[in-house]
Amino acid sequence: MFAIIQITLKGIFRDRVFQGIMVLAVLFLFIPSAASLSMRQVTELSITLSLSLISFILLLLSVFLGATSLWKDMERRYTFSVVSLPISRSSYLLGRFFGLALFIVLTSVILGAAGCLVIKICSGIYPPDRPVVWGYLVLAIGFATLKYILLVGVALLLSTVSTSFFLPVFGTICAFLASGVTQQVYEYVNSPIALQVVSPFFKPTVTLLYYLLPNLAGFDLNVNAIYSIAPDQSGLLLTVVYFVAYTAILMGGATLIFGHREMK
Amino acid sequence: MFALDIQGMGKSFKGKKRQVVEALQGLNLSIEQGEVFGFLGPNGAGKSTTIKCLMGLIKPTYGTATIMGEPIGSVASRMKVGFLPENPAFYDYLSAEEYLLFVGGIFKMSTALLARRTEEMLKLLELWDARKRPMRGYSKGMVQRVGLAQVLLHDPDLYILDEPMSGLDPLGRALVKNIIIDLKKRGKSVFFSTHITDDVEKVCDRVGVINKGQLLALDSVDHILQQGIEGYVVNITTVAGLREESFVTKSDLQIFIQRAISNQCLIEKIQPRRKDMEAFFLEIVAR
Ligand SMILES: Nc1ncnc2c1ncn2[C@@H]1O[C@H](COP(=O)(O)OP(=O)(O)O)[C@@H](O)[C@H]1O
Ligand SMILES: [Mg+2]
Repeated sequence: MFAIIQITLKGIFRDRVFQGIMVLAVLFLFIPSAASLSMRQVTELSITLSLSLISFILLLLSVFLGATSLWKDMERRYTFSVVSLPISRSSYLLGRFFGLALFIVLTSVILGAAGCLVIKICSGIYPPDRPVVWGYLVLAIGFATLKYILLVGVALLLSTVSTSFFLPVFGTICAFLASGVTQQVYEYVNSPIALQVVSPFFKPTVTLLYYLLPNLAGFDLNVNAIYSIAPDQSGLLLTVVYFVAYTAILMGGATLIFGHREMK
Repeated sequence: MFALDIQGMGKSFKGKKRQVVEALQGLNLSIEQGEVFGFLGPNGAGKSTTIKCLMGLIKPTYGTATIMGEPIGSVASRMKVGFLPENPAFYDYLSAEEYLLFVGGIFKMSTALLARRTEEMLKLLELWDARKRPMRGYSKGMVQRVGLAQVLLHDPDLYILDEPMSGLDPLGRALVKNIIIDLKKRGKSVFFSTHITDDVEKVCDRVGVINKGQLLALDSVDHILQQGIEGYVVNITTVAGLREESFVTKSDLQIFIQRAISNQCLIEKIQPRRKDMEAFFLEIVAR
């Protein structure tokens, strides 16, 4: 599995898609000047922009690299030469997953450091009303990282059932978009007002989707970082447990499907 | 223990319009250790299907097989073979050297051994100068040679090669043939598929002919060539110094030679005239 992790990382760093996406990191340079345009709450704005940029880059990376890594292997017939080596299918798949996860972590460490630097500069020039709590910032970036690792898991699971990259790419994007709103929709459907408006078929569907789709709302700690608000500790713990359990289920399913897949 | 033991293995695919394609039908085949076996068949005969089943890439619909005593599909079975896929493709962002190191790692070779074998293989297959370049820029022949390097790297006892000579120029084909002959000398078992009869005639001990998913013939190469003898072309010089060439059937040869000797003729040359492997193959497939 270690060997697969290693070549996964090599593959990403030599990939054009990765190099293209990383060009976006140049945008960090513009954050101080963009933030200073607002005249007020410059530091808060710079934190917002940095976190958004990190999230956006991680989203692109997790969707495109996660969804295309298996697909590319099958499309370019690398699977014949690799899966026929004395390595189990599950090691291969988990190697891919951990390689991608490790890569997401590395990227967010580097981008996070760049973000912190930018915020430091901004807060130095325009001192904020409330001091920046660096711990909360790190926490926000850390949970965003977990969120995108989970998304890589979704992309890999979809790759194991699909023969094209269409389903994994768009499926992952849809899962991401839906994951932000499932909580609200679920709560709405279960509220007393909705009982009269919503059809009875709708509710079980929403409930099913609510449990099936990833719920990523808990991973968003941007507000805490921006306004230096202490996050709820038990909530964080719950989110970590959710991350581990959900990812384990995703990878369990992916391993099972991939193990039975025919390499024709 | 057989190097390869296939028992009643079959595979059907669901083709277009829910048609079922029976790509392989109840194959029984055992390969002895130290044997070079040619799996001969036209395109679409079921050769690759058989090999993919053996390597655990696809699952046989029915039947079983073992590789060096290990059931197919297991990691242990794959540990004991060197496998070359048909028209192989390798991670093109890696260089040949990186790829071999990757493969050796998966075969759990020690660092020192792996470094030595990698160098040997890269030199043997004339990839030494290109070893640091990503395989993206390799020609088809070079990729095929990487495939062979990867097969030989961990020095297994059994080799399963799917069309190892296809798409190679005469030089490349000769190289592959020499490698197989060398493996045979070292007592290794080789199972390779091909649609070219000439390859089989030169290097194999035994040949199996497959068509439409069925094994149609299974025989030693010597026996096939022996059976194929139609007669002999005999060159003699008579007492008068005349040179004569005549065609003699198998049954007449004894009498012909006796008569020639009693007539004090000098026998210059006796050459068997036979159907070659190609004729044998065409005959079986056409049946
Ligand atoms: N994935 C597949 N789906 C449907 N039919 C297949 C598939 N793979 C192979 N076949 C069919 O099985 C038969 C044997 O193919 P194959 O084993 O690749 O032949 P070859 O002897 O040339 O290697 C062919 O008729 C081919 O069309
Ligand atoms: Mg084939």
